[in-house]
Amino acid sequence: MAAADTLELVPGLTAALGQISERLRGVTVQVRAGQASTGAGVVWLRHGLVVTNAHVATASKLEVVLPDGRAAPARLVARDPERDLAALELPSADHEPAVRADARGLRPGELLVAVGHPLGVAYATALGLVHRPPTGGRGPAAWLQADIRLAPGNSGGPLADAGGRVVGINAMIVGGLGFAVPTHVVERFLSRINRGGRGARAA
Amino acid sequence: MSSSPGPLATLSNDLAAAVDTVGRSVVAVHARRRIPASGVVWQPGVVVATHHTIQRDDGITIALHDGATVEATLAGRDPSTDLAVLRVATSAPAAALSTEAPRVGQVVLALGRPGASVTASLGIVSAVGGEWRTWQGGTIDRFVRLDMAVYDGFSGGPLVDAAGRVAGINTSGLARATALTVPASTVSRVAAQLLSRGHIARGWLGIATQPVRLPATLQQSLGAEAAIGLVVVNVEAESPADRGGVLIGDILLAVDGRPVSDPGDVLAALGGDRIGQAIALRVARGGRAEQLTVTVGERPRGRR
Repeated sequence: MAAADTLELVPGLTAALGQISERLRGVTVQVRAGQASTGAGVVWLRHGLVVTNAHVATASKLEVVLPDGRAAPARLVARDPERDLAALELPSADHEPAVRADARGLRPGELLVAVGHPLGVAYATALGLVHRPPTGGRGPAAWLQADIRLAPGNSGGPLADAGGRVVGINAMIVGGLGFAVPTHVVERFLSRINRGGRGARAA
Repeated sequence: MSSSPGPLATLSNDLAAAVDTVGRSVVAVHARRRIPASGVVWQPGVVVATHHTIQRDDGITIALHDGATVEATLAGRDPSTDLAVLRVATSAPAAALSTEAPRVGQVVLALGRPGASVTASLGIVSAVGGEWRTWQGGTIDRFVRLDMAVYDGFSGGPLVDAAGRVAGINTSGLARATALTVPASTVSRVAAQLLSRGHIARGWLGIATQPVRLPATLQQSLGAEAAIGLVVVNVEAESPADRGGVLIGDILLAVDGRPVSDPGDVLAALGGDRIGQAIALRVARGGRAEQLTVTVGERPRGRR
């Protein structure tokens, strides 16, 4: 809490932001496809399933750098360019997975935190807010739109709510707005893989 | 994480609640091709929007927070402050207005409704200045610039302070590449005039001028304060200036006792409150200074 000789705007706010950023960094990886620039990914399931963007996972052999700095080869499990999603499998199990929440429950104005590697700066954090929650369907309304400053390298990384729960996967910047794939679209993508029996195991 | 919401979640909830409350007064204004722009229910049945996003005078529709679409009639527009006022048959609540002057560093929200749903941006007031005049001669009570991302369709939307009150109308139409806010006091003043008269009355002399450098000797002999005057290049027949004896070739030195070196300086002296009043013009004519008295008229509609 604020000491008498410090000026803190909202007591505990900065500390809470730091905690959320740290928690997100613990579930965020770097994804490298050959010589191409680095994108981000989110550990989705404990056994080592990582979700990223299809436009980040552009090779069948990918390298993932874990939050602790270890590098590991990852296998491309599935890829959906239309939803800009890809699922990767790590060789090792028991990774701390992201806590998730449904983006459809968000309201405009709620705070958001993004972690990624914008322009190659590993594990940078950005603060913004819900510009427009996803309302379903196709087109712009299908995305979680965020008033937040992102850059190439945030792609595939987490966008989280004020409780630190991942609500989307950052995918692109449109007219200055961050567009993220909402979590329910990610879940749908993963459940299709499971039904198709293409390697992803159930959580 | 503890079960009690942390300060970040509390702030987040407060922001979303403010968006929800004020968002009920934020409407989508369909009056151009492409995406709609935004507007604010300023008083019951009256929506304020930006002039530059209303590209037609008829067939304007407004989408409300509850999804209803209603027709709107244009009560008037003021290009000089980039404001337009619409009359709408709706029970949508009017926004709560802030009477305080924005301060640098204040955390603010910008809301818009460029479609069915309300959208939000967060930022701070980055600069506040005194009264200023737009390039079209409109007077704006305070200069308010935002450090905030500006998105398509947000013009006409409200600037919302931390207390959930509307501090002004945001527009991208008054400056290039930056978001400015027309303060609530200016919006209320312009809206009242547009509702009662349909346009903003401005003073008018009926002259066209352009800046001219005064030779040092002339400046000295005239006792002129500035090295630049305004040479009169046109006087409209039967205009206030014509009746007051202004001639083509006169060099206008001062209006109402204040030196003029830019045509905008003349506009500044011709507010709507001066109509019908006598105003003193100091001119150089034939190398000598003369004083003329002109009764300010009202600028005809559609005239610059």
